[in-house]
Amino acid sequence: MYGGDEVSAIVLDLGSHTCKAGYAGEDAPKAVFPSVVGAIDQMEVDDNTNGEKNSSIDSKAGVKDSERKGKRKLYVGSQSLGFRRDNMEVLSPIKDGVVMDWDIVDSIWDHAFRECLLVDPKEHPMLLAEPSSNSQQQRERTVELMFEKYNVPALFLAKNAVLTSFASGRATALVVDSGGGSTTIAPVHDGYVIQKAVASCPIGGEFLTDCLLKSLESKGVVIKPRYSFKRKETRPGDFQAVDVDFPNTTESYRLYSQRVIASDIKECVCRAPDTPYDEASYSNIPMTPYELPDGQTIEIGADRFKIPDILFNPSLAQTIPGIESFAEVGPNVRGLPQMVIDSINRCDVDIRKELFSSVLLAGGTASMQQLKERLEKDLLEESPQTARVKVLASGNSTERRFSVWIGGSILASLGSFQQMWFSKSEYEEHGASYVQRKCP
Amino acid sequence: MDAKDILGLPKTPLSVPPEKKSQPKKDSQRKPDGISREVYALTGGLAPLMPSIDSSYLKKRPPSDEKITWQWLPFTNSARKDTLQLYHWVRVVNGVPPTGDYSFAKYNKSIEVTKYTDEEYAKHLTDPSWTKQETDQLFDLCEQFDLRFVIIADRFPSSRTMEELKDRYYSVYFLSPVCRSILLARASSPADVSGHPLVKENYNASQEKERKRALSMVLSQTKQQEKKDAEVLAEAKKIAESRMAAKGVEESVMPATENEFPETTIDHNDTLVSLSNVRLAPVAAPPSTLVIADTSSTLASLRMLPVYLRTYALEQMVQQASSSAGLRTIKRVEQTLQDLGINLKPRVPTKAVCAEHLELRKEILTLLNLQKQLQYKEAEGSSLREGTTYSEMPGTPKRQVRDHDRTFIPDAMSFGGERGGRKDPKRKGPGRVSETPSSPANKRPRKMKASDL
Repeated sequence: MYGGDEVSAIVLDLGSHTCKAGYAGEDAPKAVFPSVVGAIDQMEVDDNTNGEKNSSIDSKAGVKDSERKGKRKLYVGSQSLGFRRDNMEVLSPIKDGVVMDWDIVDSIWDHAFRECLLVDPKEHPMLLAEPSSNSQQQRERTVELMFEKYNVPALFLAKNAVLTSFASGRATALVVDSGGGSTTIAPVHDGYVIQKAVASCPIGGEFLTDCLLKSLESKGVVIKPRYSFKRKETRPGDFQAVDVDFPNTTESYRLYSQRVIASDIKECVCRAPDTPYDEASYSNIPMTPYELPDGQTIEIGADRFKIPDILFNPSLAQTIPGIESFAEVGPNVRGLPQMVIDSINRCDVDIRKELFSSVLLAGGTASMQQLKERLEKDLLEESPQTARVKVLASGNSTERRFSVWIGGSILASLGSFQQMWFSKSEYEEHGASYVQRKCP
Repeated sequence: MDAKDILGLPKTPLSVPPEKKSQPKKDSQRKPDGISREVYALTGGLAPLMPSIDSSYLKKRPPSDEKITWQWLPFTNSARKDTLQLYHWVRVVNGVPPTGDYSFAKYNKSIEVTKYTDEEYAKHLTDPSWTKQETDQLFDLCEQFDLRFVIIADRFPSSRTMEELKDRYYSVYFLSPVCRSILLARASSPADVSGHPLVKENYNASQEKERKRALSMVLSQTKQQEKKDAEVLAEAKKIAESRMAAKGVEESVMPATENEFPETTIDHNDTLVSLSNVRLAPVAAPPSTLVIADTSSTLASLRMLPVYLRTYALEQMVQQASSSAGLRTIKRVEQTLQDLGINLKPRVPTKAVCAEHLELRKEILTLLNLQKQLQYKEAEGSSLREGTTYSEMPGTPKRQVRDHDRTFIPDAMSFGGERGGRKDPKRKGPGRVSETPSSPANKRPRKMKASDL
């Protein structure tokens, strides 16, 4: 008999781009929705002195919201977000991998449980995925929120990297998790993350989307968000887009809708180049057409390869007009292969060979075409000859995207895991700081 | 764009979808019997290799008289210290739920980390570089992480290297009387105690540090450095080989420095010096360099192989030795061997036997060559003599006999076989007698070498 025993645990992975939730034991999460919320202040509409109009996706609203708690209506889920509402701001709870706004997190969890999965959290033990370098304070806060508000019977916090390596059946691996908000490289040894060797870089899928957006804008392509036009049939079978104006739409919402379209372009069209990108050799590349939702067809040429190469060569982003904020982060950020090698070199010498031969790719951005081959090639060049470099990624792009969730699903349904839950009685007895002991 | 693809609509008005025509043809070809087309298509168009359900199961299972239900029941887990009760599906037979502990509780194994008490610490275990608090933390982590020192080193609050932690742990383990007594109590005899891995190979922190430093140096070599290393090693090998060929060694020592995983402390100059210091057996008589050089090149090629069969080596040597001779000569050599009753390949290929076999072959070859040369010279001589008046020497018949004898004596002495038919009757010139080596008659044939000529 296999080692599984279902206790109907729920696996919840709140990432910087999407939130995944579902039952343990299944092979894909049931609920996948963006981990941003739309927020409308219930106060007067023209009380916008604090500059809400010019907020970016990264929320600074956390500070302001704490003053007006309970006076804000949050809309969660792709359906609610897809509908344009006046004065709705798009806010993200996570900034630089750290949760800033716990209310938003609460509302996201609530949406996941009550509206997507339709479960009562009181009856199901919860497995939460957390970033590989999470501070003790964040963990305690999570634990408190879960036990106090949702009254879960048992809880466990597992690190993303560990779950990814379990999803591929390994206890020791080097996990390269390239998600929406950031790219994290974490070595896992025997099921535990080696925290001193975790490296993280803010270049993630969303950054690449932004670069693509700015690059297209600089070339004169205007991406119209979906709400801003209506299709009118001028002749049978032939449509024309008519602009519709919504003056009360917030800037963040507009940006959000544009980003949705740009990330779709990125996923369809972009490919990691086989060699480092340079302007000269890619200037004559044939263009790929892409049809925007409003019927406009655009041609994308060199950007197809330039954008993914930013992962390997971050300084390329500075050549794109409009990416100013990157200059601050610029000098410290190195390309992906260098980060991998740095991370391995910070580990103990004896395990380095094993880490080299099991480099795992995970995350949404890792599903980019040819990324695995390019990373393998770059690593082979920089790594010592005695080490055999092997980059692994599951062939299925769904599996790559949800590998953290799948790992959690596997872990929570194992029979021998059932002794490791952090139960409510233990929480009541020892307090939230006991989580450090129970969930190493 | 994708929607248009899915619908099969043309991307531009000009292109025609040609795929549609081929699709219906493919489907109509594969229509197996006994199973509807759609169901067959579900399997991916191929029949399954093995039946998924053993058909005997479907027939065999009798309706049991037990009533089996599956119920969602709470369970306790003895591996847990608290009273958490989770629920899972349980196979209930006749309304009686199964008893016994949770079936996975038996997998809860952990390593026993012996603890010390405070007095013991004060008495035996104090160490200048370790505070009690740190030692306590260390043992705590050891227990939590089951002695996974990589992780313990990672999570240890103050930065200590893994070697230090291991050192401290093993020294405490070794010194603490609790552990000692446990060890002694468990061991049935003193021999067991000494056989315990900790007693046998005590943890040596400095050795581990050295090893790790060396390993890290190897692993951190860049590609260019490795290429340079490989080049230098190849150079060194070439020089060594040419040296050995010059000195002429039949049996040389395999240079042990050619291993795959060089210690990084080796200086490449050292490699060259050590190779030149290999003691080569000096050969007394200056051998003909050609033959020996050939052998050494074969030897060199054999040295490339990490493992090889002696018969293979012998073949190589034989081939190379007979490379100068034609096919006919080789056949003659083999014929001679067979006449002597010796197998073409020695049946017991030990080192001595192979060497002797090779010698024998070489000697036979030499003999045949000499015979051929003799033939030519005599033919020459006879043709020269035809120009002059042929004066019968008194000893001609004798000479002829001796001729005959001479031709055959080597055969007789060495082989005992008759070779008469092949040789032309020889007529010698005057100076010939002294030329023929009487050595074969006197000396043992075995010692005749090409060098004696």
